[in-house]
Amino acid sequence: MKLKDKVLIIEDEQSISNFISTILNANDYDTLTAAGGEEALSMITSHCPDIIILDLGLPDMDGLDILREVRSWSNLPVIVVSARTHEHDKVAALDMGADDYIEKPFGTSELLARIRTAIRHTRTPLTNGGIAQSGKFSVGGLTIDYDKHHVLVDGTDVHLTLNEFKIVALLGKYAGKVLTYDYMIREIWGPKAKADNQILRVNMANIRRKIEKNPAAPEYIFTEIGVGYRMRDEDE
Amino acid sequence: MRKNGRMPRALRDALLTAAVLAAAVGLSALLGRFTEEDTSVGFVFVLAVAFVSRWTEGYFWGIFSSFFGVVCVNYVFTYPYWEFNFTMTGYPLTFVTLLAVALMVSAMTTQIKRQERLRLETEREAMRADLLRAMSHDIRTPLTSIVGNTAAVLEDKGALSTEQKRALLRDVNEDAQWLIRMVENILSITRIRGGEERLATDYEAAEEIVGVAAGKFSKRFPQVAVSLEVPDEVLLVPMDATLIRQVVMNLLENAVIHGGAQHIRLRVERDGENACFIVRDDGRGIAREKLPTLFDADAGTPRGGADGKKNMGIGLSVCRTIVKAHGGSITAENPPDGGACFRFYLPLKEEKQLETEG
Repeated sequence: MKLKDKVLIIEDEQSISNFISTILNANDYDTLTAAGGEEALSMITSHCPDIIILDLGLPDMDGLDILREVRSWSNLPVIVVSARTHEHDKVAALDMGADDYIEKPFGTSELLARIRTAIRHTRTPLTNGGIAQSGKFSVGGLTIDYDKHHVLVDGTDVHLTLNEFKIVALLGKYAGKVLTYDYMIREIWGPKAKADNQILRVNMANIRRKIEKNPAAPEYIFTEIGVGYRMRDEDE
Repeated sequence: MRKNGRMPRALRDALLTAAVLAAAVGLSALLGRFTEEDTSVGFVFVLAVAFVSRWTEGYFWGIFSSFFGVVCVNYVFTYPYWEFNFTMTGYPLTFVTLLAVALMVSAMTTQIKRQERLRLETEREAMRADLLRAMSHDIRTPLTSIVGNTAAVLEDKGALSTEQKRALLRDVNEDAQWLIRMVENILSITRIRGGEERLATDYEAAEEIVGVAAGKFSKRFPQVAVSLEVPDEVLLVPMDATLIRQVVMNLLENAVIHGGAQHIRLRVERDGENACFIVRDDGRGIAREKLPTLFDADAGTPRGGADGKKNMGIGLSVCRTIVKAHGGSITAENPPDGGACFRFYLPLKEEKQLETEG
C-alpha cells in the first residue's frame, strides 16, 4: 500500500478547514487539523506532518510566529494561505522561509498543485540537485548553462548582460518558487546596493524581450504582482 | 518619492508676498514722482494687502504685508520722507484699514478653500455611497440563489437525480464565484481610502500588469482569445498594481459578460506623457443610450437586458474610481468596425496624481 502524505491544516475557520480536508482526503492525503497556534505547534512536533498549510490570520497567535518557530528547527514545507488584503504578509512569509503562498479564495486544483510542488521540492533537494550535477537547468525550450554563463532559448544563445544572467540564474536555481523583489535585489546587487524595484523591473522587461516570444505573456518567468518573480517549474 | 514636485507652500507664499509688495513699492515710487499728493500710496498698499491675503495660505502673510505697508506708507512715501512720524493724522486709520483688509480677506479665502474641500469630500463620499448601494443590491440576487439551491439539495428526499443535484450545485458555484469577484471590487474601492490620502504607488512595468490580468482572465474564460500587444519601450507607470490589475480584469470580463466577445485585443502604448491601456473586443458594442452614464454606479439598475446579467456598471464604475484616483482618465466608444473599445490613461509621472487643491 502506498504511504500517504500527511497534511496539517492550520486554519481557524471550521468550514474552510473542513473543505480542505475533504478535498485532500479524496485525493489520497491524510489530514490533521488545528484551529489555533498553540495546538498547531504541539501537533507539528507530535505528528510530524509532511507539509503544513498555514492560515496567517489565527485568533491566538500570529501565523508568522508559527512559521518562525517551525523554521527554527525544520525545513518542513509550509504553504501560507493569505487574504488578498494582506499583501505584505505574503512577502514577509516568503522572506521568512515559507515555500509558497496561496490566496484566498482559491480553487481546489490550484491547492492540490501547490501541495504537490512543495512536497516534490523537499523530496528533491531544494537548490536543484540537477544543476549541481550537470551545471544546467532546463525547462521547455529554455536552458541555463551555469558553467558557461549562457542562456539558450530553443538552442540559440540569447546574449544576456551580466545582471540579466544573474537574475535568470537565480530564478532557475529556485524554479517553481516565488522569489521576492527584495530578496532578488539583495542577491544580485548586494545588501548595501542602492538598487530598487524599478531597476529590477527594467532588467526583467529586457530579459523577457530576449527569452519570451511575447514579453506580456511569458512562458518562462512569471510575475507575482506585489510579491516577486517565479521561474516555471519542470512539470508546468 | 516625489522629488520633482512643486516647491514647498511656505516658500511659494513668501516669494509671492515679496513680489506683490515689491510691485506695490514700485508703483508707489512711480506715483510719488508724478503727484505731490500722497494719499494714493495708502490705496496701493490696501490693494497689495488684499492680493497677498487672497493668494497665500492662512493669515500670516496678509498681516505681515499690512505691517510692511504701514511702515512703507509712514516711513518712505509720506512726508516727512524717510522718517517715522507716528503723530501724523490718519496714521492709525491707515494701519487699522490695512490690518482689517488683511484679516477679512484672509478669513474669506480660508473659508472658501475649506468649503471647496468639503464639497469635494461630499462628492467623493456620495460616489462611494452610490457604489456600495448598487453593490449591496446586486449581492442579494446570487445570495438568494445560493440559499435556495443548497436548501433544495439538503432537503431533498430522493426526488432529485444526481444530474439535477449537480446542476443546482453548479449554479451555487457560479454564484459564489460571482460574489468573489464582487467582493474583490469592493475591496479595491476600500483601498482608495479617504481620497485625500495618496495611493501606495510604485513604478510598475505596464506589460507585467496586463500580462497577469490576461493570464488570470484566461483561466476563468478559456474560450475567449486574448491577444496582447506591448510596446518595445518598457513603460514604467506609477500605480497601485493590484488596483490596476483589477481595472484590466474588469474591462476584460465586461467585454465577455456584457459584450459577448469572442476575441479581445489588450494593448498598451505610450501616449505623450501617459501610458494608454486599450481593451478592444469584437462583441455587441455598447448600447447607445448607455454610453453617457456607462461609468456611473447606478447605470445598471434598470437591468435585465438581453443577457439578464447582473452588475453592468459596477465593474466599470470601479474602474473609473481607480483610474481617477491615479490621476488618469477612462473612455469608452463603439468603433466603426464593430465591438467596443475601452481606453484608460495613466500619467507616467507621479506628480500629477490626485492633487485636489487649487
